[in-house]
Amino acid sequence: MSGSATNPYPKSRGGRRFFNRRIAGRYCPSLQLILAISVLCFAGRQVRADDDYQLGHGVDIGPFNFAGYSELVANVPENGKTSLVLNDLSLFVTGHIGQWLNPFTEVELTDFDFFHSRSLGEERGSGDLVLERLYNDSYLTESVTLRLGKMLAPVGEWNEIHAAPLVLTTARPAVTYRNFSEYATGVSVLYTDPNGNFPNLQLYWQPSGEFSERPSRITFHQYRGVEGVHVSFPFGLLDKVGFSFQHSKDNLGVNQSLMGIDFHETFGKLTLQGEGTYSDISDNGVLHARDTEWAAYIAASYALAEKWSLYSWYEEYMDRTAPSTAQDVLLGIAYKYDPALVAKFEYLQNIGGQPVNRTGLYVSWSVLF
Amino acid sequence: MVGSFLKLPAVTRRALLVAVVGLLISRPAAAEELLIIANPSVSVTAPLTVTEIAAFYLLRTTTWPDGSRIIPVNREANSDARMTFTLSVLQEDSVSLTIYWNQMHFMGRMPPVVQQSEQAMLAFVQKVPGSVGYISASIAPTNVKVLARVR
Repeated sequence: MSGSATNPYPKSRGGRRFFNRRIAGRYCPSLQLILAISVLCFAGRQVRADDDYQLGHGVDIGPFNFAGYSELVANVPENGKTSLVLNDLSLFVTGHIGQWLNPFTEVELTDFDFFHSRSLGEERGSGDLVLERLYNDSYLTESVTLRLGKMLAPVGEWNEIHAAPLVLTTARPAVTYRNFSEYATGVSVLYTDPNGNFPNLQLYWQPSGEFSERPSRITFHQYRGVEGVHVSFPFGLLDKVGFSFQHSKDNLGVNQSLMGIDFHETFGKLTLQGEGTYSDISDNGVLHARDTEWAAYIAASYALAEKWSLYSWYEEYMDRTAPSTAQDVLLGIAYKYDPALVAKFEYLQNIGGQPVNRTGLYVSWSVLF
Repeated sequence: MVGSFLKLPAVTRRALLVAVVGLLISRPAAAEELLIIANPSVSVTAPLTVTEIAAFYLLRTTTWPDGSRIIPVNREANSDARMTFTLSVLQEDSVSLTIYWNQMHFMGRMPPVVQQSEQAMLAFVQKVPGSVGYISASIAPTNVKVLARVR
């Protein structure tokens, strides 16, 4: 069986947890909660100390900038535990030392249950500390950057900007994280045209396993080799069309070649966005229902007023192990007190196939600090 | 038309004159000329184009030719200078820019620093190597390098 069959619904970083199986008490929740509160206190103290502080911009100390985001989510699924979860508490540090030395790291406390109702077969989320990113950027030229370390894999748009206040919904479409390697540990070359006339390009290569690999209970697959490319054609500040290719090999020896497309387009108050992927899978003796996998979502959001917006997405997901295509629809409303401070209220409904997302109500509050 | 104006009561004539003069005075302020300034340590040949300056603020160009870091500086969101700069140089709406800068920050690129007044902006650019900002053309650009003029 593939990794996804043994652990079909783990938590994905930056996404909403729907079908988590967790080993209670394996980590020390009190220690992590203390760490979380310490980070919040530190951020709060800095906010007061710095007159020029802007929400979302972090705090500068020498050549380093300390910033982060957090998301608190109330889950009320139809079948499963009702819970209040600290879904993410992330701290990221950006350093600019010079042309060759520009370190970046992100550490995240994820999936900490403050409260949950009793539900058979599901354990309390005691929180995991995850190393999201740890790399250095060297600016080879004005437009070419060499990146070494652990980074987010540029597949689609959502994976690279997954911080809760920056993305459209609390419940994340499965196609944005589930069927590819979200990370690459190795080397990457990025091209950005200073004038914005040519497409942006990123090549990446991970020769072996993921650095500081997440345990199998919180990821769908564990990869032993990843390489890929992403090309993005910008036609506005936020509007773009992107194409992705990723080849990967997981710990079971399954090879996957993925092709993807993503887009973001604004029409006045209406914004459309979406991502789609198609994967060819060589089973290498590992049993799957099929040797292809595909998924796509399309989302729309409409600005009702300066701070209020209505949003919706529809997703179809054909998992390699599932007998039928999952179909989910979501409808929600968001209040942006500030672009870095967002409250969301949404309902997700599975309308066909074996669910990849859980039907229910999700309410979240997120801040980029 | 002049005759009709003269037939109006004196109070009304005065009010109309004040309104017209007010409009005439306010028009130049709306199209305020800005100086794009940089720390004297910056090694580029002026003048720069609007596209080149926009690339600093859109974080597409992050280092000066000598490899040092570019530190773009913005005025507070509701200032006239920032509105002029946003319209004439960045040519984007302010909400999209805020979203964009938040995304770029999460991806490891620092958004522009904000200074709350013209004096603070000038002092910051005078003091911090690699910084680039903008001030009204009516302010003397002392101890900074002028990269361009925009309106």
